Amino acid sequence: MSENHIDHPTPKKYVQIAIVLGILTAIEIALYYTEDIVGVFTDPILIILAVGKFIIVVGWFMHLRFENKMVNRFFTGGMILALVLFAIVMIERASANFS
Amino acid sequence: MSSSHSYPHEPTGVETRKLGMWVFLSTEILFFGTLITTFMIFKGRDFPGIKLTDVYDIPFTSISSFILLMSSLTMVLAHNALEAKDQEKTRVWLLATAMLGAVFLAGQIYEFTEFYHKGFELSTNIFSSTFYVLTGFHGLHVFIGVVLLLALWGIGQRQKGLTLEGGMNLEFVALYWHFVDIVWIVLFTVVYLI
Amino acid sequence: MTKIIEPNKQSNIFKRPSSETGIWSWITTVDHKRIGIMYGYAAFFFLLIGGLEALILRIQLSQPDNNFLTAAEYNAMFTMHGTTMIFLAIMPISAAFFNYLLPLQIGARDVAFPRLNALSFWIFIFGGAFLYSTFIFGTAGAPDGGYLAEEVGWLGSAPNGGWFGYQPNAGLKYSPGTAMDYWAIGLQILGIASLISAFNFITTIINMRTKGMRFMRMPVFTWMTFAVSFLLAFSLPIIAIALFYVTFDRKFGTTFFLTEGGGDPVLWQHLFWLFGHPEVYILILPAFGIVSEVLPTFARKPLFGYAAIVFAGFGIAFIGFGVWAHHMFASAISPVAQAGFGLSTMVIAVPTGVKIFNWLGTIWGGKIKLNTPMLFSLGFIGMFVIGGLSGVTHSVVPADTQQTDTYYIVAHFHYVLFGGALFGIFSGLYYWFPKVWGKMYNETLGKIHFWLMLIGFNLTFGPMHWLGLQGQVRRTWVYAEETNLQFWNIIVTIGAFIIAVSIIVFMINWIFSKRNGEKAPFDPWDARTIEWTIPSPTPVWNFSKAPEVKSLDDFWHSKYDEDEDGRAVRKESADQMLIDLEEEGLNPSENIVLPNPSYFPILLAAGLPFLGYAVIYKSIPLALIGALFLLIGGFGWGTEPLEEEVEENLEHE
Repeated sequence: MSENHIDHPTPKKYVQIAIVLGILTAIEIALYYTEDIVGVFTDPILIILAVGKFIIVVGWFMHLRFENKMVNRFFTGGMILALVLFAIVMIERASANFS
Repeated sequence: MSSSHSYPHEPTGVETRKLGMWVFLSTEILFFGTLITTFMIFKGRDFPGIKLTDVYDIPFTSISSFILLMSSLTMVLAHNALEAKDQEKTRVWLLATAMLGAVFLAGQIYEFTEFYHKGFELSTNIFSSTFYVLTGFHGLHVFIGVVLLLALWGIGQRQKGLTLEGGMNLEFVALYWHFVDIVWIVLFTVVYLI
Repeated sequence: MTKIIEPNKQSNIFKRPSSETGIWSWITTVDHKRIGIMYGYAAFFFLLIGGLEALILRIQLSQPDNNFLTAAEYNAMFTMHGTTMIFLAIMPISAAFFNYLLPLQIGARDVAFPRLNALSFWIFIFGGAFLYSTFIFGTAGAPDGGYLAEEVGWLGSAPNGGWFGYQPNAGLKYSPGTAMDYWAIGLQILGIASLISAFNFITTIINMRTKGMRFMRMPVFTWMTFAVSFLLAFSLPIIAIALFYVTFDRKFGTTFFLTEGGGDPVLWQHLFWLFGHPEVYILILPAFGIVSEVLPTFARKPLFGYAAIVFAGFGIAFIGFGVWAHHMFASAISPVAQAGFGLSTMVIAVPTGVKIFNWLGTIWGGKIKLNTPMLFSLGFIGMFVIGGLSGVTHSVVPADTQQTDTYYIVAHFHYVLFGGALFGIFSGLYYWFPKVWGKMYNETLGKIHFWLMLIGFNLTFGPMHWLGLQGQVRRTWVYAEETNLQFWNIIVTIGAFIIAVSIIVFMINWIFSKRNGEKAPFDPWDARTIEWTIPSPTPVWNFSKAPEVKSLDDFWHSKYDEDEDGRAVRKESADQMLIDLEEEGLNPSENIVLPNPSYFPILLAAGLPFLGYAVIYKSIPLALIGALFLLIGGFGWGTEPLEEEVEENLEHE
């Protein structure tokens, strides 16, 4: 195991990543207050920002980028499965009740 | 897993406990997925009564979200310090992570109490039920995380100090903690901002 | 010579358990084989209880307008029958096979997390006990407008909302009392057990394979365990959350599934069947794995289309997540959803068909030996095909609407889960009997068991097809005499009792063979997979040294060569090799370190029922007791190393 630890980022890099995360969060909060200006784009942008933060934390802080492919596939597999299943449930519930 | 001698294991090269944790986290996606789905389904519904938007306080939650986000940084720094075999620094960062987690929890408790005072209770209506169960389930995860971090910190006080191997190892807990953080990244957007 | 390291009795904080025989050795064991055996017996016990409940149901239905049971008692009996058979019988009996065989089939010394393995077993036991404690503590009152309170009785004070717990029927208003709380929390606890074992098996298969055991060399049973573990890991969380909602609705006044507060009862059905349909494959895939082991062995041919069987298994597991709403065609879901799920239901028949044809291809032209395991496997194929075909008929939405809630459905899923899963399980029980006990079972009794069960099974569930199409409604305690349904109902009841007799034959065979059976030869079936390269019963250490696998069906290839026509020819050295293997297996030449027994899995597990009671009775003291168990168990577990430190001089070498 110890050999793949060599590639891990340095503390400085981690702090930089955290700053990026902080800025993204600030943009998110700003977007909440500027909803009137940004309009319909607010929600998509918010989702993209959240996904971005998610990927940064999983990839760098959890070292998924540096991890075995097996682990990667498992985690993304669970993610995709969940997204597809729950998207179907949400769409079905939204259409069946109010159409 | 230093035992078993000539017995082969880990053909994938991933430490078994870490692999187990990743498998666990993958299923956690489904736990939170179900909760978020429920929240989203009802969020779009038209039902009379008090809603989350009537009671919440975005600046407050933003700050506590930011605190939890930063606890991921301190966690990864603890991990980094341990890889550099710096026990002292590891313990400091661990404690910092646990403290940030505790502050987040305190914030959540305060928030819940405020909401209750404003008449937004668990069984008030479907909006309040889905909100409390979703964020409460996450809060429970944070609580368990804080307990694990403190346990780890306690183990670190012993002579042998912390290692990256064996039962309760730091990497194991770190993975869990980061996961709790990314769940909140999603929840903050889904519950509060959208 | 054997050198099992004596555990250091003075552990960090608590004393280590040290007994090697007797009850304490079983309670504290972390050995996958012992856990597997305990799973098997516990599951069989619940199978008997579930069977008893089925017989009670059949006695009630043997006559029109019968009053053997009241409506309330009937509701409780069919709910408990379904719940018991699925969660307490078939699932854990599959877990018994996983536990015992998985490490042996991949050449490992134990599972990845031996103590977690013990934990999931004990959680299962406590979960089952908790669920059944409803007969003592639970109450099921009479709902407004339902049956009368005096009709409920002792039998009726069990969960009565069906194993599917449809809302709002299973909610507080229509199912008052605490019985359905026992159901919701009991399933929650059992779910935790399965979830933990799923993590364990996935990790074990990925990380504990022996030298040369590549993925595409694993036995099919191991593959199916893998698939089942994925299904468990990804479907159980969904039902866990849904059961949380039920508990909150019932205990804390929320309205997740109740329209009064803006909730949505159909959402329960979605969440339940999102779990419930994968659950069907969780129940059947282990049997697929067992049959895929038994058929090649007794047809003396390699499995036809190994890769196809493996991928079809995963195809089924994957598509199995996309068909859930065919359970809801009658539940007001949109026409688009109905069409989509109808299609996906047809599609899932394809990988299943692939498997059936592969099995037929395996026995085709083989030198078939009709031993009991083979008979059960052949019975499995036949019965499962019937169940599978009636399953495809459900994908036609208009037809399904007609069949919904009739005995046609009951017939269908019993052909799949009894004729399929349980026949496969019996096949496996006979097949690995010599491995586990080192004795042979009685072949004659085995065959009597098979034929009685086949006849009884078809008498029981065959006529249900036409009873259903004639309109007999399931989950209803009486039918009127004018419906002319009594003839087939009597036949069905007789069939059910024939099954009961066959089970008694099985038990007699098991008990006597285990005690007085002939000693099993080293390789009784001339088998193909590496669990047969070690002595029977399996030594505590499994393999005395890590085996190295060079091909699929490695053991077979070490015994047989091919002649120019591709026929298998036994090597001259084969017999000597078996003698050497036995000698070597019994006398390991290197030091063996096994995980030490532990008290903490059972302690930790004991906390869960207390937490369950605490929620039901909203009692803080009970919650504290439960938390205390978790705390002690968790603390002890965390501070106790899996294996004691081995002394330095033994460490080398």
